[in-house]
Amino acid sequence: MTLPTSSGDYAVETRGLVKRFGRTVALAGIDLAIPTGCVFGVIGPNGAGKTTLMRLLLDIIRPTSGEIRVLDVSPRAGGSDLRSRIGFLPGELHLQSGLTARRLLNDFASISGPVEPGRIDELAATLGLDLDERVRRLSKGNKQKLSLIQAFMHRPRLLVLDEPTSGLDPLVQQQFQAMAREATANGQTIFLSSHVLSEVQDAADSVAILRQGSVVKTATVAELRESAVRHARIVTVGLSETEVALRVAGIPGVGRLDTRRLSPGPETRPETRPGTRPGTGAGTGAETGAETGPVIECRATLSGAVGAVGPFVAAVAGLPLQDLVIEEPNLEEAVLTLYAESDTEPPTEPPTSDRAGHV
Amino acid sequence: MSSSLPLFAKVARDTWPGLVGWAAAIAGTTLVYLPLHRSFGDASIAQVIESMPQALIKALNYDLMASGPGYVQATIYGLLGFAFLTIAAVGWGGQAVGGDEEAGRLELTLAHAVSRSRVVLERALAMTLKVIILAGVTLALVLALNGPSDLGIDVGNALETSVIFAALALLPGTMALCVGAWTGRRVPALVAGAAVAVLGYTLNALGNQDDNLEWMHTLSPYHWAYGNQPLINGVDWGGFALLAGLSALLVALAVVGLNRRDVSV
Repeated sequence: MTLPTSSGDYAVETRGLVKRFGRTVALAGIDLAIPTGCVFGVIGPNGAGKTTLMRLLLDIIRPTSGEIRVLDVSPRAGGSDLRSRIGFLPGELHLQSGLTARRLLNDFASISGPVEPGRIDELAATLGLDLDERVRRLSKGNKQKLSLIQAFMHRPRLLVLDEPTSGLDPLVQQQFQAMAREATANGQTIFLSSHVLSEVQDAADSVAILRQGSVVKTATVAELRESAVRHARIVTVGLSETEVALRVAGIPGVGRLDTRRLSPGPETRPETRPGTRPGTGAGTGAETGAETGPVIECRATLSGAVGAVGPFVAAVAGLPLQDLVIEEPNLEEAVLTLYAESDTEPPTEPPTSDRAGHV
Repeated sequence: MSSSLPLFAKVARDTWPGLVGWAAAIAGTTLVYLPLHRSFGDASIAQVIESMPQALIKALNYDLMASGPGYVQATIYGLLGFAFLTIAAVGWGGQAVGGDEEAGRLELTLAHAVSRSRVVLERALAMTLKVIILAGVTLALVLALNGPSDLGIDVGNALETSVIFAALALLPGTMALCVGAWTGRRVPALVAGAAVAVLGYTLNALGNQDDNLEWMHTLSPYHWAYGNQPLINGVDWGGFALLAGLSALLVALAVVGLNRRDVSV
């Protein structure tokens, strides 16, 4: 198998990429094509092979079989010249602790692609890092900032970032998103990883879901969102649990139906004064029907969300509703579903974390 | 920042305090030992030596202690200076790749625009230079005390001895570098380096004992360096070539070793 040469369209391409550590299969045949200028996320649980994949791109480790092209050259052949055009943020940071952040960054600058004067100070100001502090006194988040600076400072054509936002507070995460946007606006490509989707979904255009050394799914974040499950919740007044369940259960795409009685109805009315019943806090103010029957809460999932929302809303519109909530699609859940689906084919040799490195 | 040897420059900047410490240790030892030669007087030292077991005298090369050059050879170049310089070199060699990798730092260095060969070669160069500096410090002190302590050492021989002193210490250092480059571990690197030094010293000491064991000298780097009594007779350049050649070979093997394997797994 030979990959097309000098396509220029893809910053990273792999075909049939396999990496074994002894008898442990860390990557079991990865085919990826990361378009130039996009933000591509790879997500997966610990041990899925994310770090292994990134180390292969940097020629820190070598593939057992398969092909890799990074910026149109194999990492091995590209050597230091290729790596001058890559910025790497390792998943596990081991920095020299006795130096100041500035000294360490200058040292990295001396072995990376050319860094413009003032660039390190500019990035440190953006992220809020004190460059004159000794590395050993930096918090985990501040060390991560230092690591981000050394990855971004020479404006590399490709950024390989292993869990870039881990340890960062939300404000700095936003700064990171801004840096990522600026980079892609410059035509730089970003390949980043996370074990949770929420950290990538804002930054990434596309996502590959990695599980036990294989890509389970590749999709754009929009596609994932479309296919993701939404949670819906309605509260009705005056119908029985069975009546509500029957009305909702027949709607296509509805699943995991769960009804329960929040308020028992007329018999015990003295205990349930209007407006203070649980589940009516977000009520519409139309409490007129409240005394006429039991209050029922019904929770359900809407899968294939875009397709299911319309029929669901249409079907419940005729009910005596007190509350209606349809949540944002939960991408995390979508991903967990994908992990679980591939559980049906257990791999012969599950990766063990100590041999596969910090995956 | 725009150094042509960035990794070498970094080692130099990061480790000069350690170098100063080793220089102080060697200087202190030299300053304590060399003046003793005069205050004891040749006769009293000879008495001390006569009271020692013959085998120990041979093992320590103390049979030449009576002369100034013999005394300096036996105490500094042959024993304490040798021990300090060897320990320093093995430590630096073990740290250069194996220790750096085990600490998890080599990964990020190699992710930058440097080749693995460059990492090995620049760090080997830094180690070599530091060993030469320490040998130079020793030489300066020996020459400074030569007159005051009545050592009677020929300056040319002192210079040559310092060259082979450095070469002798570099061999275990490059061995540590090489084993670190192949294994990515610090302890095996240190053990291998120390083994070269200890075995060399032991083979020499055993070879000194009697004619039946003299063949051991041919296997001893220590004997290649000092068998000729360089402070008295000048250096045996064949021995120097052997030491320097082996060190160069070990550095080349280190380059091969680091280039052919996965890092930090």
